[in-house]
Amino acid sequence: MRPPSPSIPEKEFTYGALKQNIRLDGRIPLEMRSPTITFGPELGWVECALGKTRVIAYVEGKMVKPTPERPFEGIITIHSEISPMASSEYETGRPSEEEVTITRMLDKAIKRSDAVDKESLCISAGQRVWHIRLTVHFLTDGGNMLDCACLAGIIALRHFRRPEVEVIGEDEVIHSPLERAPVPLAIHHSPYCFTFAFFPDSETSPVLDPSQLEQRLSAGLMSIALNAQKEICVLQKLGGVPQDTDEILRLVKVAVAQAKDLSDLVDAKLREDWEWRRSKVEVI
Amino acid sequence: MGSRIEILNEAGFRSDGRRQHELRDLNIDLSRHGEADGSALISHGLTQVLVSVHGPREAKMRSHTFHDRANINVEVTVASFSTGERRKRLRGDKRILEFAATIKATFEPVIRTSLYPRSQIDIYIQVLQQDGGTLQTCINGTTLALINAGIPMTDFVCAISGGVHSTSPMLDLTTLEENDIPHVTVAVMPKAKKVVLVTMETRLHVDRFEEILNLARDAGSILHREMKEAVLNRSISLVSTAGPAQLREKGEDDMNVDY
Amino acid sequence: MISFTSFPTQPEDAYRTVRRYNDDEDDAMMDLDDENGPSSSKLTCPGETLTSSHDYMRGHGTYVDNDEVIASVTGTIERVNRLVTVRPVNSRYNPEIGDLVVGRIAEVQPRRWKVDANSRQDAILMLSSVNLPGGVQRRKLESDELQMRTFFEEGDLLVAEVQAFFADGAMSLHTRSLKYGKLRNGQLVIVPPVLVRRLKSHFLTLPCNVDIILALNGYIWVSKHIKQIEQEGELGFDAEAVYSNQNDRIDSSTRSAIARVANIIQILASHFIPLTDTLLLEAYEWTMEQDSDVKTLLQEDYGDALVAAVVSKE
Repeated sequence: MRPPSPSIPEKEFTYGALKQNIRLDGRIPLEMRSPTITFGPELGWVECALGKTRVIAYVEGKMVKPTPERPFEGIITIHSEISPMASSEYETGRPSEEEVTITRMLDKAIKRSDAVDKESLCISAGQRVWHIRLTVHFLTDGGNMLDCACLAGIIALRHFRRPEVEVIGEDEVIHSPLERAPVPLAIHHSPYCFTFAFFPDSETSPVLDPSQLEQRLSAGLMSIALNAQKEICVLQKLGGVPQDTDEILRLVKVAVAQAKDLSDLVDAKLREDWEWRRSKVEVI
Repeated sequence: MGSRIEILNEAGFRSDGRRQHELRDLNIDLSRHGEADGSALISHGLTQVLVSVHGPREAKMRSHTFHDRANINVEVTVASFSTGERRKRLRGDKRILEFAATIKATFEPVIRTSLYPRSQIDIYIQVLQQDGGTLQTCINGTTLALINAGIPMTDFVCAISGGVHSTSPMLDLTTLEENDIPHVTVAVMPKAKKVVLVTMETRLHVDRFEEILNLARDAGSILHREMKEAVLNRSISLVSTAGPAQLREKGEDDMNVDY
Repeated sequence: MISFTSFPTQPEDAYRTVRRYNDDEDDAMMDLDDENGPSSSKLTCPGETLTSSHDYMRGHGTYVDNDEVIASVTGTIERVNRLVTVRPVNSRYNPEIGDLVVGRIAEVQPRRWKVDANSRQDAILMLSSVNLPGGVQRRKLESDELQMRTFFEEGDLLVAEVQAFFADGAMSLHTRSLKYGKLRNGQLVIVPPVLVRRLKSHFLTLPCNVDIILALNGYIWVSKHIKQIEQEGELGFDAEAVYSNQNDRIDSSTRSAIARVANIIQILASHFIPLTDTLLLEAYEWTMEQDSDVKTLLQEDYGDALVAAVVSKE
């Protein structure tokens, strides 16, 4: 089923408003919806919301035999599927183009940019490694699911703790969390994704973090994944309205500033959660 | 893996003897292939791609038509012998789906689809050999095949890959270089000097990115000249055989028009 | 190898050609007013600025951006008074009312057939625009609707005329003339539509007992010659004969003549030479003079020789 297109008055009103740099939810064009981050009872369970868009990310780990090509590296897999739960326009079965884009982008931003140190996931070479599995559930589509999923994914990976494993001779001893404190994953850097939407009218300025309506009316998206160290991990503008290089570079600079803020926010949230958990431990 | 190979030596030469900003040989063959309305066989160095375009024609599935514009359908197949490591890619492979979606999105704003409501334009891409820059070759080949098919477009789309080795930018990377250094692919519309596509999948500092983006944009206009020359040469050879009759006919029809 | 930055001077590598580009662009506006007569057909390609939109109107194959008329296809620039058009070197068939087309039935739908005619969309042949059995022009009946497949079935070839266009640009055909209708006794050759130019008549008869229908959509029908008297003689209009799926008996000399003509058309098309009645006749005579076998025509050097011989005569 093709998504119902917005009605003509709705379309014209939105375009008209955007032309005057006004967005329907009151943001300025290059403003992001502030993310709401909720941690679950378990480590590695995060619910992340950008406005109405809600995503759950969950990380689990198990021990497996490594692939013969890479005996010293752990395995990371990312599972994401957009179910009809997010919005009635998604179907189960053949992945839609949007789903392919989101899955591939998550893969590139989190896995291929080496956010997690894979060698530290090795327990004994060629025998046992950790298999970290990140599952992303899309609960509601309020536009820009990609950024939300990417944010949730990276927070979940940073929040996750795996039990400590010791190799004594040939045997592996798994220490329960009650014996030894579980260890966090070795994270090299935290990429955050920012999506800009361009509109058919070249005078309308692009918007950051498009809402569902804006995304549907847009004529091209550009997603940038970068970390607080000003390194771009993924940048993709796959077709859409042609842009000047200067404009692209301007948006990259915007993303750089946003990444800094978001990184601070995520650090604070994680610290806050950790403090809270520690206080709980003391009570018990 | 490739760290044993020197990407750029002290004299400023790359592993295949090129300079930093030097592009590989570009070969273009625009002759007809079978029943396609337009086709192009293009190679950048050792990367070779065959593109054929069918259409605008009746859509195979009515659900895929739009009442106000033509639908563009892109299908990519990668020959299993195209890489050093022989492997079969299934049609449902997410990477290939993404690849096809990328090419579709690149050409959607460039092709004047509104002229052909309810029709479909099929673009079939066969990757024959891969030695880096597969996306760039596919995009350039598609541009040429579309032009060859006489499908109206606002401009050429010229794509080029670039990378940065420590601090020195390089253009038109081979597989060896792609494996080792951060790389971007940029597709430009040379007339407006605007960028249709930018994609980068490896970590790179913002300042370096700016440099390579501007360099790739300029390189795009060089490719444009090469592609334009190929298109014009092909057209001249066709018009020279078809030409006289065309003029005679025009002369008869337009007697009253003052030249 | 191509290089585009100027490097410090170095000895030229003898083994490869290096192209260098200067920064100055050769994007000067093409001057349409510079008239060298119609023989200087100028070529252009997408994205080339042709002229200013203040002085000229844009025609097919062009678009306007920033007050400039810009080409959108590769082809020759043509100007009629203030109208600038670009005629594409190669393109799909662009239908016009009155054009003769050959098509193949793609689908049978309620009260209409969909016909593949090598255009941007399938053409439509309404039941009301075909000759119905019974001869006289009459209203279509429900019984006609029920037996549409006895007239045209999927895969049938037919010759028709473009009657009108629908709102979405699809063409509507009609076969309401004894010249039009189902095709049999021959073979179809497909060539690029640009190679078929508008002629006085698109129904040709070669002296070798072969009829050719040069349809403007590039579908060419080569068939056994049917005598005029047989075609128009009976007023009674025999539905059996018109919608028959059976070929007449074709003797072997006609068969080889049909094959020869089909091969000639294919050779000319592969050399991108426009097809005209005189050209086809000359080519046919040339092959007969050479006393060649039909199948030798398809050898490449023979085709080149044919083209050279025929084009030199022009």
